[in-house]
Amino acid sequence: MKPFDFARPDTIAAAVALLDGRDASRPNRSALLAGGTDLLTLMKADLYAPELLIDIKRLAELDNRIEETAEGLTIGALVTLSQLEDDPRIQSLVPALAEAAALAATPQLRHMATIGGNLLQRPRCWYFRKPGIHCWLKGGDDCPARQGENQLHALFDVSPCVAVHPSDPATALLALAASVRLRGAAGERELPLAAFFAPPTDERRQETVIGNDELIVSIQIPAAAPGTRSTYLKAMNRKVWAFALAGVAAAIHMDGNRIAQARLALGGVAPVPWRAESAEQVLTGAEPSPEIIARAAESALASAEPLAHNGYKIPLAKALVRRALTRLTAPAFPGA
Amino acid sequence: MGPHTHLPVTLSVNGSRFPLLIEPRRTLLDALRHDLALTGTKKVCDAGDCGACTVIVDGRAVYACLLLAVDCDDRDITTIEGLAKGNALDPVQEAFIQHDAFQCGFCTSGQIMSLRALLDANPEPSDDQILRAVTGNLCRCGAYLNILKAGRLAADMQRQAAADV
Amino acid sequence: MAKLHIEPKQSEEGEDGAEFQVVEDEGILAWDADSELLVVGQSYPRLEGREKVTGRARYSSDVRLPGQLYARVLRSPYPHARIRNIDITKAEQSPGVHAVICAANVPRIAWYEESVLFDATVRLVGDEIAAVAAESDELAQDALRLIEVDYESLPFVTTIEEALRPDAPKVHDGGNIAGEPTTYERGDPESGLHEADVVVTGDFETPCALHNAFESHGCTASWEGDSLTLWDSTQAIFVVRQQVAEKLKMPEHRVRVIKQHMGGGFGAKQIPWKHDVIAALLSKQAGRPVQLLLDREAENMAAGNRNPTRQHVQLGAKRDGTLTAIVARIEQSAGAYRTGGEASNVSGTYQTLYRCPNVRTEQTAVYTNTGPAVAFRAPGHVEAAFALEQAMDELARALDLDPVALRRRNYAEVDQLEDKPFTLPEGLRLSYDRVTETFGWGERTAQPADSVKRRGVGFAAHDWSGGTGHPPGYAWIELNSDGTADVVTGTQDIGTGARTGLAQVAAEELGLPLANIAFQLGDTATGPYSPVSSGSATQATIGPALRAAAADVKAQLLEVASVVLEIGVGRLSVRDGRVLVDGDTERAIAVGEVMQKIAPHTLQARGARAPNPADMTIRTFGAQCVELEVDTETGEITVLRIVTAHDCGRIINPALVDSQVVGGVTQGVGFALSEERIVDTRLGIVLNANLEEYHVPTVADVPVIEHARVGVPDSAANSTGAKGIGEPPLIPTAPAIANAVFDAIGIRFRAGPLTRQRVLAALAARETNGSGEADS
Ligand SMILES: Cc1cc2nc3c(=O)[nH]c(=O)nc-3n(C[C@H](O)[C@H](O)[C@H](O)COP(=O)(O)OP(=O)(O)OC[C@H]3O[C@@H](n4cnc5c(N)ncnc54)[C@H](O)[C@@H]3O)c2cc1C
Ligand code: SF4
Ligand code: FES
Ligand code: FES
Repeated sequence: MKPFDFARPDTIAAAVALLDGRDASRPNRSALLAGGTDLLTLMKADLYAPELLIDIKRLAELDNRIEETAEGLTIGALVTLSQLEDDPRIQSLVPALAEAAALAATPQLRHMATIGGNLLQRPRCWYFRKPGIHCWLKGGDDCPARQGENQLHALFDVSPCVAVHPSDPATALLALAASVRLRGAAGERELPLAAFFAPPTDERRQETVIGNDELIVSIQIPAAAPGTRSTYLKAMNRKVWAFALAGVAAAIHMDGNRIAQARLALGGVAPVPWRAESAEQVLTGAEPSPEIIARAAESALASAEPLAHNGYKIPLAKALVRRALTRLTAPAFPGA
Repeated sequence: MGPHTHLPVTLSVNGSRFPLLIEPRRTLLDALRHDLALTGTKKVCDAGDCGACTVIVDGRAVYACLLLAVDCDDRDITTIEGLAKGNALDPVQEAFIQHDAFQCGFCTSGQIMSLRALLDANPEPSDDQILRAVTGNLCRCGAYLNILKAGRLAADMQRQAAADV
Repeated sequence: MAKLHIEPKQSEEGEDGAEFQVVEDEGILAWDADSELLVVGQSYPRLEGREKVTGRARYSSDVRLPGQLYARVLRSPYPHARIRNIDITKAEQSPGVHAVICAANVPRIAWYEESVLFDATVRLVGDEIAAVAAESDELAQDALRLIEVDYESLPFVTTIEEALRPDAPKVHDGGNIAGEPTTYERGDPESGLHEADVVVTGDFETPCALHNAFESHGCTASWEGDSLTLWDSTQAIFVVRQQVAEKLKMPEHRVRVIKQHMGGGFGAKQIPWKHDVIAALLSKQAGRPVQLLLDREAENMAAGNRNPTRQHVQLGAKRDGTLTAIVARIEQSAGAYRTGGEASNVSGTYQTLYRCPNVRTEQTAVYTNTGPAVAFRAPGHVEAAFALEQAMDELARALDLDPVALRRRNYAEVDQLEDKPFTLPEGLRLSYDRVTETFGWGERTAQPADSVKRRGVGFAAHDWSGGTGHPPGYAWIELNSDGTADVVTGTQDIGTGARTGLAQVAAEELGLPLANIAFQLGDTATGPYSPVSSGSATQATIGPALRAAAADVKAQLLEVASVVLEIGVGRLSVRDGRVLVDGDTERAIAVGEVMQKIAPHTLQARGARAPNPADMTIRTFGAQCVELEVDTETGEITVLRIVTAHDCGRIINPALVDSQVVGGVTQGVGFALSEERIVDTRLGIVLNANLEEYHVPTVADVPVIEHARVGVPDSAANSTGAKGIGEPPLIPTAPAIANAVFDAIGIRFRAGPLTRQRVLAALAARETNGSGEADS
């Protein structure tokens, strides 16, 4: 880790004032420190060397609470993954998020990791994380993963970068139609997650559109129609403590024996959490059956373009989709 | 890059307060091991991948390698050295000896701290909760099955001790 | 003087470079099977338990000396390059820096065949180039960034296949074949295959596994004048002392190596590595103590690994299962250097595990521009078992025989290599019996109702050339004037519980309770020579030496007691801390009371380990049964239950043996399912030199593991009847798992580990072409 200075501002405005670029391809002068579980691993590998760390963990203005209102749930940026895992409202209203949090990382990391930092964590691509490799995402010319060891990489080719987004909660939040509230020098804005995450481009080599001077204040989950069910499933290379080879979050609202609304998101398959809209269309209005569910799973992966070593993720993701949907549409679903 | 300032920090570890002047980049793990010579907490991966550095901060098990020492100013820190009361071992420590729940011992401090944090929060854990409490602690020697037995025994010993008073 | 045996040295693992070995006789009779032992055979908790659970156990990385500096090593970012120039001036001026060393300012110290300490040619990503010592680890890292190196990058190879190409870039001037290929042949393998009714043929590949001992390699070095003390994380304090002295041109008595506790080694610490000498040189230059610890990445790039192999295997058998031929062609990657500790004899088990008149093995090691291989818990056998034991399973299926029955049919009663009897010929049979009974082999488990999940069971056997003891080895015992004893050896406890098991042997022979023994080890200055802790040898090497020393002390004690009690020595014995008088229980007297008569004097003796028997072969054996479930949609394998049985002779401490067994099996689960070093062959870089993507098992990955103890003393092996158990439990796990997977889903995995990627790819391939073969 290179040396840096440390500041602990008292207000969001003061924190924003200290901020500037967070793009890894450019030298950074300052960065926000929340749980530090991603930032410090990047800094230890010299992938990131801010001159100033701005500690926001004790910022009174920034919330570490979960609030329920008529519009839905507001999750403060500093809420930890273990809070999400353990909170009874999250467990009952948006179980996909509680499950995703519980399946992420380890108890110790979940105690430290904030949801704000979780959405902004950088890819775990092993080329990216190696200091000696100047890959495209780090400002280089090309992506060594494309023709290399890409067994952990993306199925959907939407960026010069084929790293996958590592977050489990982000996948769940996408299926839950969440949005992110940002505050910057120019004021506050709210972005749906689908717009907040964007595949990296030549001009913007990062996974989100957050501005260099912005911070995440909170995450909003709109109140779903009563009876909406959701779940998150994750496949790993061991039973716990691994990033998702594939993750699936689904939220279903049943009207009688038909699916009135379905939202489906996949993780571990694209540089950003991946919404499977075509599969949602297959499901919407349909009466759930093994055939419909299988069609939805096929449709969710229909446009996948596997690389040399990650083709196995296609049957894997399909199986998770089928299981998630089977679970959510089962007549005996808990609480149904 | 100009000279970076050292910052004053007070670490409250195992009930004692240690005022220090340290570089902001020093992790809590290095501060414990080097500035305070509390070497019972181990460094294995320095990246959140092993659990050997687990300590309890404000009642929660966390990885000391991913916390900055300056960030722990005035937080309540417990390390493996803080568990035994005088010569009396903590029930978790006692149970680890009884069930041979370690071999090389390098992951042991971390395992014990995870279980201590569990029992503080939940004195009557189920077997599954005991298992989940140590999912963030690798053991390369493969002492896991005995670690689970020790966790069970420690919970039982602690409950027994509570019932006896 | 005791009779000395001076003979040319031969040893499998734990090669220490000696040309001759000198071994003394002990003159001690073995405990026989019905000796009534009080301390041996009991599950005492580890002697160092308290220190380890309180965090007070001091490992090499915990040493804190006044003025101590922290070192970092600059490592090559290229797999193969020539260094044109190194400039360390900026690093030397960096704040807090006290020493910077590189080729330019240290003596030329020979290392690894034709290489040197800081070689001008680097041969792997991670090769040592320079080192810095500074007031903190952070400041050392700052200085490292300021070292300027001008590299000329060279072509390189990272795989066995690439290394063997005729036009391959050369890792060393002499080419890419590492050492002499070995060939072994007995009988006539060709006609053996010819006369077979069934021949199975398979090409197997085993991955490169990384030891990942929790404590990385490293040491603390400190000079007092001309004397150097090294607190080193090593399995071999005496070898480190001898080698460091030689490299630094110092007399051995000026080098002291200490290792009290160690955070695991698994073989990777059985040789002296460059860090010892680098730390010593830095410390000399700085005039202050220096601690040098490898970080996890360096540990996984450059400090040893289990060599990847390719194995072409053919087995021939008659209808009734009788083996007529075993043929194996083996290629293995030594990495960039032969470390001297890589001796991975993959051929061995093909030659010995089953009775077969016609056997041929060919083994070739190649250099690649990757980290050097070094022994990893049962080196060679783990790799070979993955292939041989799957091939045996295929053979059983081809012959429609039960896999255990096939193995029983080909039981090797003698050591076919040297045509000698085994010291415990029934060792393997007992393991078969115990494991199959305990597991319920042959009773089919029901398939789950969910047809997506398939269950299977698998079996594998093993033998192991280690566990025999590696004489010479010595011990000293001093019986104190109060009846307690100080026991000293120069061996190491690398986390196995050696301290405790050895102290039990000493206590038993002395006739003292374990609590009356203080046990010292791990210091070349205070203990007598002991060999490297490798080859599962420590208990079997040092145990008998302790018995010999204890018997001597005990004899002296009885002579004293005889004078004190005025009773003939012939009527006296010692048990549980008391001197007993034959036929007169009233006159029994505490050992301490006898010793008080000579207080403050003490009684002492030295014991030596006798040679292993010349006319018999000592071997350890075992077998495992596995039950698991495969999710055919997600490729997930869940191991449900493993039962394992091992012949390790007499069990000195059941709890500690169980721990070794369960720990070994746990590592075997990792080797089978998830552990694999991934190297980008275009860049020569290890992509998962960490614990994030190098997946060792977690607590949630471990099945129920049952150790079905055999526990028959091997009294012909040594005077304690105990053999080693450290390595063997890992050997059969991966093939037993692969066999169970075949049983579950009918797909044969000839390349490991069995990750989701491999399982799902194989399932998909079967969908499309109907084959039951997994691509590697
Ligand atoms: C070993 C390991 C395993 C893991 N496994 C998983 C897993 O299985 N699933 C999973 O989902 N995640 C996993 N993670 C990732 C982990 O969840 C994230 O690192 C964590 O959530 C990040 O939160 P933090 O508070 O620690 O963020 P920090 O590390 O403090 O910050 C991360 C980034 O976000 C920025 N930031 C933080 N908060 C804000 C804010 N409010 N506004 C703007 N910017 C902000 C920081 O500047 C930084 O750039 C793992 C991490 C590790 C180390
Ligand atoms: S996938 Fe992305 S992060 Fe990985 S090497 Fe390619 S560009 Fe870099
Ligand atoms: S050292 Fe902190 S998790 Fe490994
Ligand atoms: S006891 Fe060695 S790592 Fe757990």
